[in-house]
Amino acid sequence: MKTMLRVHNLTYAYEKGHSPVLKNLNLLIGEGEYIAIIGPNGCGKTTLIRHFNALLLPTAGEVQVEEFSTSDTKRLLEIRRRVGMAFQNADNQIVGMSVEEDVAFGPGNLGLPSAEVRRRVDRALAIVGLTELRTRQPYTLSGGQKQLLALAGLLAMEPKLIVLDEPTASLDPESKKKVLTLLQTLNSQGLGIIHVTHNMEEAALADRVLVMDKGELVADGRPVDILNRVKWLKSLGLAPPTITELMWKLQQWGADMSTSVITIDAAFKEITSLLERLENSSQAFIPRKVDGNV
Amino acid sequence: MVMYKLGQYVYQESPVHSRDPRVKLIAVIALSIMILQLNMAGLLVVSVVALVVSLLARLPLSAVLRSVHPVLSFFIFLFLVYIFFTPGRPIPPFPFGPVQISYEGLNLGILQLWRFFLLIVAASILTMTTTQSEITMGLERLLRPIRITGISSHDIAMLIALALRFMPTLLDEMNSLRQAQLARGANFNPRRLNQKIRAISYLAVPLAVKVFRRSDELIDAMQARGYQQGHRTYLRELVLSRWDYCLIIVIISVLIVVIV
Repeated sequence: MKTMLRVHNLTYAYEKGHSPVLKNLNLLIGEGEYIAIIGPNGCGKTTLIRHFNALLLPTAGEVQVEEFSTSDTKRLLEIRRRVGMAFQNADNQIVGMSVEEDVAFGPGNLGLPSAEVRRRVDRALAIVGLTELRTRQPYTLSGGQKQLLALAGLLAMEPKLIVLDEPTASLDPESKKKVLTLLQTLNSQGLGIIHVTHNMEEAALADRVLVMDKGELVADGRPVDILNRVKWLKSLGLAPPTITELMWKLQQWGADMSTSVITIDAAFKEITSLLERLENSSQAFIPRKVDGNV
Repeated sequence: MVMYKLGQYVYQESPVHSRDPRVKLIAVIALSIMILQLNMAGLLVVSVVALVVSLLARLPLSAVLRSVHPVLSFFIFLFLVYIFFTPGRPIPPFPFGPVQISYEGLNLGILQLWRFFLLIVAASILTMTTTQSEITMGLERLLRPIRITGISSHDIAMLIALALRFMPTLLDEMNSLRQAQLARGANFNPRRLNQKIRAISYLAVPLAVKVFRRSDELIDAMQARGYQQGHRTYLRELVLSRWDYCLIIVIISVLIVVIV
């Protein structure tokens, strides 16, 4: 896999002499990876992702996007057309007076000719499903539509990687599902995604989970291998996925089952197979029935 | 909110709506200069032009006239000042003690009132037939020559666009702030002046804080989307048709004739 992003010994302090928010962080991200970043509040997630498109520059160490170092100010536009970023509050990211003009903002910044801007705007709006609303004024949109608009604004830049800071935090379940489904579709088409979230069910959708604590990367691996460490996650102040916690509780109680389960489907399989095993091997249920009749 | 609705864009398919925004901007500027130069007869002609343009644009005339509403009290005040304080031949029952109305005053009052009325109507027709983004783009193109001063017209257009974009957002924000304060027993209509001023500061200070927080986030978002000062491109490029060129030439010739 080609390297998309390389973080090398990254240290960052907001002010000189203050204790660093990020400590000697190393990270390699390949092209097209779907990554979730989790961690308690104040662990440095947001500070870290702001280094990915040169909104922040390392105090020490280096961040590279493909072959460009983020501290090379001449390459700023090259970096930002590759790495798109959306923030929590969609309302504060919308700059256009209409939906389509907002999507045209990024391509306009790249200095593309009008016809190309038009093509990209139409494409991005079609992907997120806002084509019908393209002449609406942004303040008339719902929260979910605003988030989709922010996403369309990123896609119109045709980036290789998009970084999203809690994109579903203020959405209703319906819009949340829409955004998450969209992310999975985009990823399957080759777009890299970095998704910062507090929601472990959302983190479970990624290919790889990074856990941060106190400015350091404390775990990096497949979601199943990380999200099943129920006790450890709790000690960090994070909540494991509800379904994983249920499996963990059942295991603690004595049920013979794996806790490497992060989806409802996997949990269903695990429980039904346990029930089958019980029915086949023991008479545990039958005597009780007989007792009841006697 | 009422102020905001006035002069708002009215969607119509019309030859006025489809003109290049630059033509309309030039027309309004030229018309404003002319209005201040013309006498009664000239104003009558301008009024007829305004009426014809409104009809061509299929604008509801009542909506055009209503655009004067917010400044009506100012108009009345201005009118009274002119008729009472212009020296000249008194109109019969006057002078009434120290109070007098002169023919000249009445004449001047009507003339000035008519001028202001036409200025506002002209501006309303512009904003009712041209979207905010068209006006912004038109301004951007008209201002391009200021490049020689080192200021980019793109930056000015961005500034205007952002102000217009966040106007409704900030109005919303202010309403929710007001409600939050009302819920905690604030009184926004006190009798005494110093309390009135304090009531305003209860709204203004938190609103200002919120604006700064918003603008911080906005700057990050704009940078993340590759914003840099100076040249950029747009979804639509404005192109002047032959019609537009003819209109501009006509407008400017009329302006020159009127001034000279």
